[in-house]
Amino acid sequence: MSQEYATQRQSGGVTRRRFLTGASALASAGWVAGSAGGWLLRPERASAATPIKVGIATDITGALAPFGNANWQVAQFVVTEINQQGNILGQPIELRLEDTASDPKVAIGNVRKLIQEYRADVVLGGITSAMRQAIKDPIVNRGRTLYIYPQLYEGQECTKHLYCTGPTPAQQCDELIPYLIKKQGRKRFAMPSANYVWPQLLNKYARKVIEAHGGEVVFEEYYPLDQPEYSATIAKIRVGKVDCVFNTIIPPGLQPFVKQLYESGFQRDGGMISCLYYDENLLNYHPAQEMDGLFSCLDYFQSIKDPFSEGLQERYNKMFPGTKYLFTAGVASTGMYRGIKFYEAAVKATNGDLSREAVSAAIDKATLASGPGGGAQMVPGKMHCKMNMYVARCKAEGNKTHYDIIGKYDMVDPKEC
Amino acid sequence: MLENVVTFAFDILSFTSVMVLIVLGLGVIASMMGIFNFAHGEFVLLGGYTAFLTQDAGLNPWWGIVLAPLIVGLIGLLLERSVIQKFYATPIIAMLGTYAIGLVIREIIRSLLGGHYKSVSEPWPGFFTVGRLDFSIWRTLIIAITVSVIIVSWLLLTKTAIGLRIRGSLENPMLARACGISTGQLYALTFAYGSALAGLAGALIVPLYQLSADMGLRFLVQGFLSVMLGGVGTFEGPVVGAAAVGALAASLPWLVLPVLADPLVFLIALAFVKVRPQGFVGKGRT
Amino acid sequence: MLNRSSAPRFGILPIVEAVTLAGILLAPFALWSRPELITLATNVLILALLGISFDLCWGYSGIMSFGQALFFGVAGYVVALVGRDLDFSPISGALPLAALSGLLLALAFAGFLLLGRKKPTNIFIALGTLTGSYAAERLVSGWQYVGAGNGLSAVKLLQIGPIQMVEGVPFYFLALVTLLVCYCGSRLLVRSQFGLVLAGIRQNEERLTFLGYRVQIYKTIIFSLAGMIAGIAGMLFTYHQGYIGPGNMGPGLSTTAVLYCLFGGAGTLIGPVLGTATIEVVSYILADIDRMKQIWPIILGIVLLAVVVFKPTGILGFFVSDRERIGSYGIRGGKQRRTKP
Repeated sequence: MSQEYATQRQSGGVTRRRFLTGASALASAGWVAGSAGGWLLRPERASAATPIKVGIATDITGALAPFGNANWQVAQFVVTEINQQGNILGQPIELRLEDTASDPKVAIGNVRKLIQEYRADVVLGGITSAMRQAIKDPIVNRGRTLYIYPQLYEGQECTKHLYCTGPTPAQQCDELIPYLIKKQGRKRFAMPSANYVWPQLLNKYARKVIEAHGGEVVFEEYYPLDQPEYSATIAKIRVGKVDCVFNTIIPPGLQPFVKQLYESGFQRDGGMISCLYYDENLLNYHPAQEMDGLFSCLDYFQSIKDPFSEGLQERYNKMFPGTKYLFTAGVASTGMYRGIKFYEAAVKATNGDLSREAVSAAIDKATLASGPGGGAQMVPGKMHCKMNMYVARCKAEGNKTHYDIIGKYDMVDPKEC
Repeated sequence: MLENVVTFAFDILSFTSVMVLIVLGLGVIASMMGIFNFAHGEFVLLGGYTAFLTQDAGLNPWWGIVLAPLIVGLIGLLLERSVIQKFYATPIIAMLGTYAIGLVIREIIRSLLGGHYKSVSEPWPGFFTVGRLDFSIWRTLIIAITVSVIIVSWLLLTKTAIGLRIRGSLENPMLARACGISTGQLYALTFAYGSALAGLAGALIVPLYQLSADMGLRFLVQGFLSVMLGGVGTFEGPVVGAAAVGALAASLPWLVLPVLADPLVFLIALAFVKVRPQGFVGKGRT
Repeated sequence: MLNRSSAPRFGILPIVEAVTLAGILLAPFALWSRPELITLATNVLILALLGISFDLCWGYSGIMSFGQALFFGVAGYVVALVGRDLDFSPISGALPLAALSGLLLALAFAGFLLLGRKKPTNIFIALGTLTGSYAAERLVSGWQYVGAGNGLSAVKLLQIGPIQMVEGVPFYFLALVTLLVCYCGSRLLVRSQFGLVLAGIRQNEERLTFLGYRVQIYKTIIFSLAGMIAGIAGMLFTYHQGYIGPGNMGPGLSTTAVLYCLFGGAGTLIGPVLGTATIEVVSYILADIDRMKQIWPIILGIVLLAVVVFKPTGILGFFVSDRERIGSYGIRGGKQRRTKP
């Protein structure tokens, strides 16, 4: 973080991730290092039509690098497939990546390049809500460009021309929390949180649900994003006899917290953790045993056995063999998939008209018949979409994790705006 | 109730011992040569990075703990002989110069890490139980190692010939030189020693706090304040200063909002130094 | 000992200043079709103000301030908050507000650090400013009201009369005019009798104290003025970028200002401007070349080290004689005067 001083950049420049894995796949898919900058995916077939410019702004470096890299790979995967299947009405998609470096300060400058220099037709990206807040102004207001935000978040983002394709608190908490209270007998909740907007608003919502079902919030505390010491917190958990930790701490403070919690014997003594963005990708942050027994509620897990999702995973793994950035839901990659597919559907509906108003109106009514974990439907006028939700519990097997699905809920309403 | 007190004390102790190791190196350099080494945080980073490399190379992680002070001490020595000794006359320029060195080190490591955060595992993970309380093994080890280092350093200073020469140069460099003590060599030795301490601290901390290129910066300002608080010019000064800052930083979050605790530590320390510029245990050059 | 015949007839500095001014005036027309470059140029001008602010402290008065970004950031936060909570952003109010924030905070800080019974050491001042900057960064990182670690975004646009300012040529000219005014003001100040005292402080503080000058008062004044300029820069930055965060307030940006100034040439006022321009433009160009992007910060660090060790007078030191750097003072200072270096 960052938020240390002398942050990664002074201004105006950013480290680009080298693509160590799947480089050959990329080359065969037509990747070139863009001359004007960024990474450019030029469509394979030479085409007289001008390409549709899609800008991706995500965290390739910094504390959230595992999230951002997964997003980016999924974006490449989806766009390559679309281009191979005949483009969008004959117009190929071109992708350009700008690294937001897990730091809003740097991100603004880079996102501005997407708008001013690259003149993107649509921008997808941002992971933390803080990043979204920082970059939505240059994109939507100053840049007058369509923006699709793919990550789960705290809701209440009702800006025009800003569509959210990740789960909302209603979709995540409404089933998970009652399950924890009723079926797992959890009564005393702790809310250790990172100090920014997502945990704050999410906790407000979660608290309502907890208390409505008879639970109690023992404490709710906020820490700087890069806090390394959690002994005071763990002491409060022990003293307050907390039996369920509803965690909203994010990297870089996440790893020390989970490690210190695990070492204090919390899980060994029967405590449970729940964290709404945990999926298979979090192995990039922890050893598997620290996540054992954790509960999550997302729109997709790799253990879901439906043929479409399995097909997607297979083709993704073929394109990026052996990658450690998996196609999972907690890191916004399913939202990225949905976002690009919604955009594709919208442009087909407008018959190739790329103006923001037209595409926006079309996305508003768009539906996806299939996707990872199931399809999705935009709720007209509400900027958010319905999707299938799954409650799951993490099981550590050796040094891998596996999420056992406990419940499936069809086409849950986002209840936003 | 007693449990809470014990846990609290242990936490403060483990947090402080990390600070003490770092500040000891910084203080020794500041006392001896009168310069504040802005690259000290990056020496800590180098120590952490060495530990990471040994883990990556598949070696037993204990090697990282052993190698880190050696390698960082060597790097410190090289830097001192080549660049840093030019700065002794002008402390302000020294700050700028060492800051530049720190910048170079930090950015080199950042590009080597690819901008990512890396995890390094503890050589001795897990916890042991005393009564109903669990104590992290690694943190206990950190405390133990710090105490040993302090004792060994103190013994070196007071009981050996070279320690005598160092103390002589500390008190009166001119006279020391007149007596034939090679202050240049001693400065080089001191700088290497301070860097080695920082490297050791880095290797010890990195399993707890994760490795990232900005790791060193966190400790820099706290380190400087600790040195000034404790008093430049003595051996005990930095230790006392670090203990004070560490205790303050660990205990304030229990008393005030965590939001305020962080900056408050610095402001209190700064105010204290303003009022008493020679620090707690001050004597010798300021 | 210099005598008249060896001193150059004309000064290099005014030429450098004239060329730079011409360049800055012509830039928007040359870059008309590249909006991202106009944005870059505007950023350069704004950051140059920060560099000048540091130069006034260090280059002219010998105060090593590692915390100029503190005033930059605080002013930025103030205008962002005023825009968010009071829906207020006309320049007639925002500019004085920012200037005043910078001025008062710097005054308070200088008072704490510089004034008092015991004379503070240079180390103490340097560390004190560093600590202040760092503590402020930690404070806003944790304070929810000001956006905590994520700062304030979507800042209400600056208003000049009925126009709302976004990035572009109008904002560029706003930054230009501000830079010109601050620059000329500073130049007048440092070439005046006040500036003569500052030069004395820089050369030999003890001697000046013995001559009866209240050195700490002079330092406080220049520090406050520098803080004011940094505050103005912070305001422009926030409105231009649409964002202000803890990273814009901490030692990172402070030390960047040091780098700008030293690289260009401390003690010349135009030096920081050139230093900022060079570093920012090169950073921008290299940002898009993958391999260079990783190496550039390393190169920057080495450059800074080289400057500190070998050429403390910066780039301008290659062109400008020492004689001219020290400068001449007073209203009749147009001609070369015989002053001891």
